[in-house]
Amino acid sequence: MKLKEVDRTAMQAWSPAQNHPIYLATGTSAQQLDATFSTNASLEIFELDLSDPSLDMKSCATFSSSHRYHNLIWGPYKMDSKGNVSGVLIAGGENGNIILYDPSKIIAGDKEVVIAQNDKHTGPVRALDVNIFQTNLVASGANESEIYIWDLNNFATPMTPGAKTQPPEDISCIAWNRQVQHILASASPSGRATVWDLRKNEPIIKVSDHSNRMHCSGLAWHPDVATQMVLASEDDRLPVVQMWDLRFASSPLRVLENHARGILAIAWSMADPELLLSCGKDAKILCSNPNTGEVLYELPTNTQWCFDIQWCPRNPAVLSAASFDGRISVYSIMGGSADGLRQKQVDKLSSSFGNLDPFGTGQPLPPLQIPQQTAQHSIVLPLKKPPKWIRRPVGASFSFGGKLVTFENVRMQSQQGAEQQQQPRPVFISQVVTEKEFLSRSDQLQQVVQSQGFVSYCQKKIDASQTEFEKNVWSFLKVNFEDDSRGKYLELLGYRKEDLGKKALKDSDQVAQSDGEESPAAEEQLLGECIKEGKQESEFLPPAGRTFNISVSGDIDGLITQALLTGNFESAVDLCLHDNRMADAIILAIAGGQELLARTQKKYFAKSQSKITRLITAVVMKNWKEIVESCDLKNWREALAAVLTYAKPDEFSALCDLLGTRLESEGDILLQTQACLCYICAGNVEKLVACWTKAQDGSSPLSLQDLIEKVVILRKAVQLTQAMDTNTVGVLLAEKMSQYANLLAAQGSIAAALAFLPENTNQPNIVQLRDRLCRAQGQPVPGQESSKIPYERQQLPKGRPGPMAGHTQMSRVPAQQYYPHVRIAPTVTTWSNKTPTALPSHPPAASPSDTQGENPPPPGFIMHGNVNPNATTAQLPTSPGHLHTQVPPYPQPQPYQPAQQYSFGTGGSTMYRPQQPVAPSASNAYPNTPYISSASSYSGQSQLYATQPQASPPTSSSAASFPPPPSSGASFQHGGPGAPPSSSAYALPPGTTGPQNGWNDPPALNRVPKKKKIPENFMPPVPITSPIMNPLGDPQSQMLQQQPSAPLPLSSQASFPQPHLPGGQTFHGIQQPLGQPGMPPSFSKPNIEGAPGAPIGNTIQHVQSLPTEKITKKPIPDEHLILKTTFEDLIQRCLSSATDPQTKRKLDDASKRLEFLYDKLREQTLSPTIINGLHNIARSIETRNYSEGLTIHTHIVSTSNFSETSAFMPVLKVVLTQANKLGV
Amino acid sequence: MVSVINTVDTSHEDMIHDAQMDYYGTRLATCSSDRSVKIFDVRNGGQILIADLRGHEGPVWQVAWAHPMYGNILASCSYDRKVIIWKEENGTWEKTHEHTGHDSSVNSVCWAPHDYGLILACGSSDGAISLLTYTGEGQWEVKKINNAHTIGCNAVSWAPAVVPGSLIDQPSGQKPNYIKKFASGGCDNLIKLWKEEEDGQWKEEQKLEAHSDWVRDVAWAPSIGLPTSTIASCSQDGRVFIWTCDDISSNTWSPKLLHKFNDVVWHVSWSITANILAVSGGDNKVTLWKESVDGQWVCISDVNKGQGSVSTSVTEGQQNEQ
Repeated sequence: MKLKEVDRTAMQAWSPAQNHPIYLATGTSAQQLDATFSTNASLEIFELDLSDPSLDMKSCATFSSSHRYHNLIWGPYKMDSKGNVSGVLIAGGENGNIILYDPSKIIAGDKEVVIAQNDKHTGPVRALDVNIFQTNLVASGANESEIYIWDLNNFATPMTPGAKTQPPEDISCIAWNRQVQHILASASPSGRATVWDLRKNEPIIKVSDHSNRMHCSGLAWHPDVATQMVLASEDDRLPVVQMWDLRFASSPLRVLENHARGILAIAWSMADPELLLSCGKDAKILCSNPNTGEVLYELPTNTQWCFDIQWCPRNPAVLSAASFDGRISVYSIMGGSADGLRQKQVDKLSSSFGNLDPFGTGQPLPPLQIPQQTAQHSIVLPLKKPPKWIRRPVGASFSFGGKLVTFENVRMQSQQGAEQQQQPRPVFISQVVTEKEFLSRSDQLQQVVQSQGFVSYCQKKIDASQTEFEKNVWSFLKVNFEDDSRGKYLELLGYRKEDLGKKALKDSDQVAQSDGEESPAAEEQLLGECIKEGKQESEFLPPAGRTFNISVSGDIDGLITQALLTGNFESAVDLCLHDNRMADAIILAIAGGQELLARTQKKYFAKSQSKITRLITAVVMKNWKEIVESCDLKNWREALAAVLTYAKPDEFSALCDLLGTRLESEGDILLQTQACLCYICAGNVEKLVACWTKAQDGSSPLSLQDLIEKVVILRKAVQLTQAMDTNTVGVLLAEKMSQYANLLAAQGSIAAALAFLPENTNQPNIVQLRDRLCRAQGQPVPGQESSKIPYERQQLPKGRPGPMAGHTQMSRVPAQQYYPHVRIAPTVTTWSNKTPTALPSHPPAASPSDTQGENPPPPGFIMHGNVNPNATTAQLPTSPGHLHTQVPPYPQPQPYQPAQQYSFGTGGSTMYRPQQPVAPSASNAYPNTPYISSASSYSGQSQLYATQPQASPPTSSSAASFPPPPSSGASFQHGGPGAPPSSSAYALPPGTTGPQNGWNDPPALNRVPKKKKIPENFMPPVPITSPIMNPLGDPQSQMLQQQPSAPLPLSSQASFPQPHLPGGQTFHGIQQPLGQPGMPPSFSKPNIEGAPGAPIGNTIQHVQSLPTEKITKKPIPDEHLILKTTFEDLIQRCLSSATDPQTKRKLDDASKRLEFLYDKLREQTLSPTIINGLHNIARSIETRNYSEGLTIHTHIVSTSNFSETSAFMPVLKVVLTQANKLGV
Repeated sequence: MVSVINTVDTSHEDMIHDAQMDYYGTRLATCSSDRSVKIFDVRNGGQILIADLRGHEGPVWQVAWAHPMYGNILASCSYDRKVIIWKEENGTWEKTHEHTGHDSSVNSVCWAPHDYGLILACGSSDGAISLLTYTGEGQWEVKKINNAHTIGCNAVSWAPAVVPGSLIDQPSGQKPNYIKKFASGGCDNLIKLWKEEEDGQWKEEQKLEAHSDWVRDVAWAPSIGLPTSTIASCSQDGRVFIWTCDDISSNTWSPKLLHKFNDVVWHVSWSITANILAVSGGDNKVTLWKESVDGQWVCISDVNKGQGSVSTSVTEGQQNEQ
């Protein structure tokens, strides 16, 4: 494709490769006259600006020269590394002169641009070349066999390469070898080429085909092979390019006969030795592969001959050609459309004629149209063969899990090398681990969580703490795991009960006297002490044992006496107060009953103005909120201490929270960080995260690790001490946790990442990450095995989803079912909102199935609906930091469990349940989404995906028409009088959240509750999806729900109709925990804590959330289980007797790979013959007759379908062979 | 540590030009000058050839996996001027679409963030960039940016999906108002940033100039939740630049030289967490780079045949800071 053109009849030279930008120098040609027959000459420099789409080249400088040129080259001599315009332009003139120009001066517009000049040659200097190894060496050739070697450092005295060749002839071409710096070749029109060795100072070989028809117009050395060169012939009778190898110089190695008439110039690409340009009198410019002779490309040219052609040294795809029609054109060999060219012609024509109404018609001419037949030709195809420079030889790409995929092509060999075929072409998959400390700390944390050794862990952390604050935080965390945590908190705040007691005793008198007179400086201490005092008030009452006079005089005393005597306490107290006898008043009020006491207290506090009054007020009135809200933040410690001492369990957390919030919002930086301690006391993980994140900038892995350690420990603590469902995950925590899991994953610790990922959350980023992690673990997800898309629903499991030992990671799964428990508001742990949340957790799960029963959609139908969330997730604003969004919540990493996987896919809708109430609007919303249901598309349709808007109506209708649930919910509403029936959740009018709120729009669930202040008990997602999952309103499951305390045998679940499985799972998960005989810790803890307010519902919630069962992959049919046990047993035996690590590795690998077999067994996809054979092998293993086993093996392999057995049979063979070898 | 966990013998008969894992890191797609695209299951250190896709008539330069929510879809581009979209259906991989709208080698393909739908950007040596959008029912809509890079576009890379303004407090439920952007690099030594206008047309938003030779690759870093956008670029001139833009609204990008290599740098790739950059140099070297706490880019590893050690100086520096 033509890029640029300049109307000049000129020789051309590209700036050296080092130069940037790219320039093209032109010097008026001495051989050709332009149309004007002008004898003026000039040297011009143009810039190749490819960002300018026009065909014009930007002229940088023009220098009027007194010479015309036969040749022009631009050498990199003395170029600086920066590549500023430099080097030297070397021109060969008509009169045997060689002129050196400074191109930078030409561009700068200097007058003195000639560096040096020498006219030692006797005739026109047609041949010039710069040595690429020593750029100060220039060779020149002229008539009479004259060849000179010029040293630009010493330009005055050229050398000769040896004696002149005889007979004298013109030197038309000269070229330095590209590999060996002292080798030079020259050629003449006579057809002879001479190769010179400058060290020997003589010609070493002469190359000629003796045809007398070679008329050398071009000479070029092979860029890579030192002994090869090409010669081009100008003779029309022999328009060829000959490729010579000097080692076999008797005849040309290859002859390229691609031109019809004589060749005028050639150029061999330095960037790709397979590209040789040639232009000839047949007006063609060809690019051929001199190694094969194949023509790779024909440049689209006009019909003019080109007499000079040059590759651009810097931009390997660019070349320039000078043609006899007075034009230099710059082409790209990469093809492309020639729109620019046509446009230029149009412009030219337009500008010549003008559009300005030349005929006075009052109408400007329409733009000239170029006939469209050019359109056909405007597309210029690229080279047939891709040039070397676009063939990427090396690459490294990261992928999920910290993996790096690399490949390198060691050597670029010629395409036809036979050995190339055998060359192994490996791709390496590597694990990149950069954060060792992070990993080891994360590992420790994981171990701690497993071993429950929290106290010692915290202690270690305390010991290792480098800052006081860090130490404090860990101390606070540790206290959570100790008895009398509040007391210990107090200690940490500097208030030891015992010490205080003593102190208080000692100081009680003074304190009592100096009440209210303490200096502000002492306030802090006082505040604390007063707490003590208040508490022990009664102990310090002065003993009342002495006798006294009862006076009834007229003074106050007398009046009081009278009042007392008449039993009029109220008047007596008033009188006392009036007389400022506070103590008397209070004492009397006590006698006068609660009501009077309260009134008196109030009056007292109203009158009293001392500094600690408010504290006392708070103590007496139990109004800690007041203290926390209004205390001086400098005294946060004291306030916290007071709360720790006095607050009732049900308000404790809230108060700590409140204090923390104040510290955070009003305090200075120091205080802000202290808020963390309050949140720890409050057990408020979410706020701790927020506060910590604010205080600690930097998102380095270790600082995240710092945070996560605390969060994990605190969550455990909260779980233990407050018997609360800590699986609730707020937005921020989810964000941090998934960040953390991402980091772990990025270091390759995928299992760890899964372990730390919060379990029952519907935070999309977590759900998606979990799915990705599970799959990344390399579990053979059946959906993938059968090459279906991950989200497609598969048949549901035939096996029971019951527990199966040995899959620890599964233990989290049941919790997954408890999406309803997910509270969205981050204020999760306060006592007050705990109660209601627990309530409606599952009852609704069953009830809506009634609705479904009325309108049972076909199962397949439903599935699409369930898939939608997955698809639509894509539209959600994904939290930054989570690169991979989407994905249905397959929460578990288990292989061999297609149904489980997909049931969780179904569960996918579970995660969106909270929005089910607004489903009707959702159904409006998502038909617009372009890629609605990934699954649907794959269910056999040819298109990629199909919109399935109809999938939602069942959902919406079920939500909208949902009747108040039956009593199912009631059974759980133990402690929650305020908890509205769970149905209230569904009763939310569809419009409440606005039509744009798709039910499958997770972020909304994060916000809706916050913004709309939806009652805390709003939530139950289960209710709505379950019916969908369970369209027939499976009565069994309903019963299950209503009688949750009656655990169903597992087998009953297995009997659930398949489409209902998700529902069944839900029940399963619920029922299981309840079936667990007692959760003593969760019941007793609240009691220990003295938290009478803790509702039972809460406990239940906690219980439910405990991972109580393990869902496993589909079981291997019993009759085939023997295969697994036998093979595994054999591997174990081999492993124990194998000695060298290589064998062990082999066996380990085999053990892993046999999973493919077990997979197939589970799927029951193996043909009976294979199964039989496997059983035979197993029997032979039992008899330790391994050779027989191998024979059977061979038989199976030879008779079965390769694809069926290829995944595991070879491995089995390895195992058998090893067993045979080891003799186990 | 960079340690080989799996060596996949691809049995390609000519140079490999690209190797990409799928979203989960369980499948490997490779492509080669032998005109084939291969897909391997590489779970558990194994290698099972799933598909050997033939259809290109020239060297295949790049492969790109679509997000799995759309199914198992792979795009490949070739010197034969074609882009082929392959799809797995019922366990077999087949060509599902062929895009022939380019006049020259198609050098780069990149799927848009899945949030936008199924959109593929293709950069070609004909200087154009085309954008294929799946519109359903097997139809792909094509938009073409002509003359994006004179004499050729070598690389395209999408910006992560980030909603302008607040990242978290989007009005709930509304289709997020994404601004689609991608970066391209070409033979005009430029990196260009393209933005979709409201009318759906693509417009050049920015030109990033620092390279003095062909830009071989650009890689927009994944978003890690920070407001900063980052792009890595590498060039024929041996230089690798890290471009950052702190304020997307001002759209001022500043380059920082990561390193000047002695040879062509072919490829740059960000880790998923965007903190490590893998640089593939023309001397067959792969190096890993990480930004130290003081903002300098430090080479933490030389990777040779998939192996290398990681210097811990960077991480130690971070630790000290704590």
